[in-house]
Amino acid sequence: MVSALLISVGAVSGISAFLALLMVIADATIANYGDVKITINGDKELDVKGGKPLLGILMEEGIFIPSACGGRGSCGLCKVRVTEGAGQFLPTELPWLTEEDKAANIRLSCQLKVKNDMFIEIPEELFNVRQFRSRVSSLRDLTHDIKELRLELIDPAEIEMLPGQFVQLQTPEYELTDEPVYRAYSVSSDTKDRRRIELEIRLVPNGICTTYVHNYLKEGDEIIFNGPYGDFHLRETEREIIFIAGGSGMAPIKSILLNMADEGSTRRARYFFGARSTRDLFLVDKMRELEEKLPNFTFIPALSNPEPDDNWKGATGLITDVVADHLESGDNVEAYLCGSPGMIDACIKVLTDKGVPEELIYYDKFG
Amino acid sequence: MKQTPQMKKIQENMRPGVLTLRGFLGADTRDLVEILEGDAAEVRRIGTTHRAIADRMRYLRDQGMRGLGEFIDVEPHFEVRVDSVRGGIPSPFGDAGLIRKTNTTVRNKVLGREIFYTDVNIHLIGDHGFYEGRGSLFRMEPHELAEILEVETEQQQTELPG
Repeated sequence: MVSALLISVGAVSGISAFLALLMVIADATIANYGDVKITINGDKELDVKGGKPLLGILMEEGIFIPSACGGRGSCGLCKVRVTEGAGQFLPTELPWLTEEDKAANIRLSCQLKVKNDMFIEIPEELFNVRQFRSRVSSLRDLTHDIKELRLELIDPAEIEMLPGQFVQLQTPEYELTDEPVYRAYSVSSDTKDRRRIELEIRLVPNGICTTYVHNYLKEGDEIIFNGPYGDFHLRETEREIIFIAGGSGMAPIKSILLNMADEGSTRRARYFFGARSTRDLFLVDKMRELEEKLPNFTFIPALSNPEPDDNWKGATGLITDVVADHLESGDNVEAYLCGSPGMIDACIKVLTDKGVPEELIYYDKFG
Repeated sequence: MKQTPQMKKIQENMRPGVLTLRGFLGADTRDLVEILEGDAAEVRRIGTTHRAIADRMRYLRDQGMRGLGEFIDVEPHFEVRVDSVRGGIPSPFGDAGLIRKTNTTVRNKVLGREIFYTDVNIHLIGDHGFYEGRGSLFRMEPHELAEILEVETEQQQTELPG
């Protein structure tokens, strides 16, 4: 009796698995969704071949949706509003979608396959995003684990972007990946120079893109990126600016400061930069140069654990403690933060305790 | 133990390109159940448990978070850095929602050795006894974790001062 039951259960499971496998194979090989139309924001129409993920189809049409994982469904950035033609939510989308997202028909474009006519809505600024071919003109160590990568644009020859925005760098096939992978990095250079960009990239152990940049990429190599993306940029107000960053979080802040210098800004600004010891500090000379150019700007590097040989005479302690010591009050202050989620959360607490309204704290959280 | 259909499905999730580009199995061709049994035997040989190893990993990560992205000293002789990159990864076992890409580096200054692990590793080890397949980029060796992180063995735990 028991063995008959087990045989029946096994047979049903086996048939179900076989049918599921057949459906997957059929979808990948036989299914032909033909020509479909994607209508964007109610006016722009694309005639495309169906069957592939929306993210990839849009990319082929020159429309780039931000994605830090290259379409793997592991970053949750490529959200798009699909008002018609999307079908049921997929299990691979659900971890990334809030109840509000679902109610607003937000979908993960890297997971959603285009199988019939579709109506989507995307921010207008994404139409300005382009794919660029570029050449590595310099690659130098800023610290033992951060490199500065300078790229000269080849085609298109110029990029228009705001200081604080980021691009997605493509890592080609190499030892750690058998297909191109994209990762997001903030631009650190002066965005008035439209013919080149600089990135500051910290080595992540086992990281596909950072390992490529640190150990494989050479000056003279060609590399592809797309962008610009992001809304981390300086607001035009009269308030004092508090910048806080650590490690490669330096990048967007430096870009903002270079642009402030171009414009002859006289706004009061203080930049708190956290590192462990002097071997983790970088671009201090550049920041001192900016202090010369910007009359009301002060750079305050802080070391959490200076070595005896460092002969460090500057601020010491965690960056949160140093900010708390220096910032008298949050009145008429706005803040710009860039770093890991833990660092950002700790800084938000210090700033709000000082009276900085949360809505005036802008941040670029890596997490 | 025999590989169940549920384990087979989980092992499918671990293949390259399903949840992550490189997957969780590396070059390991064994069934998931064999991988789990192999590492469980190793953990028993060391004299500890998956839970104790994961708890130690989590403790050092939590201590390291105080460094706000930089290395910080943790008693008695560790340096720990906790860093994050954009994004998250669902567990191949389907039971932990989305796990942030948080990376912890621990230096044991006495041993002069360093180890790197992610929040996904902590979940996989603590909740499932899974250290990833041989050759996987994020494979953790139980004996290395136990040595470098100084995980207390059951023998040490019972040797209470008199």
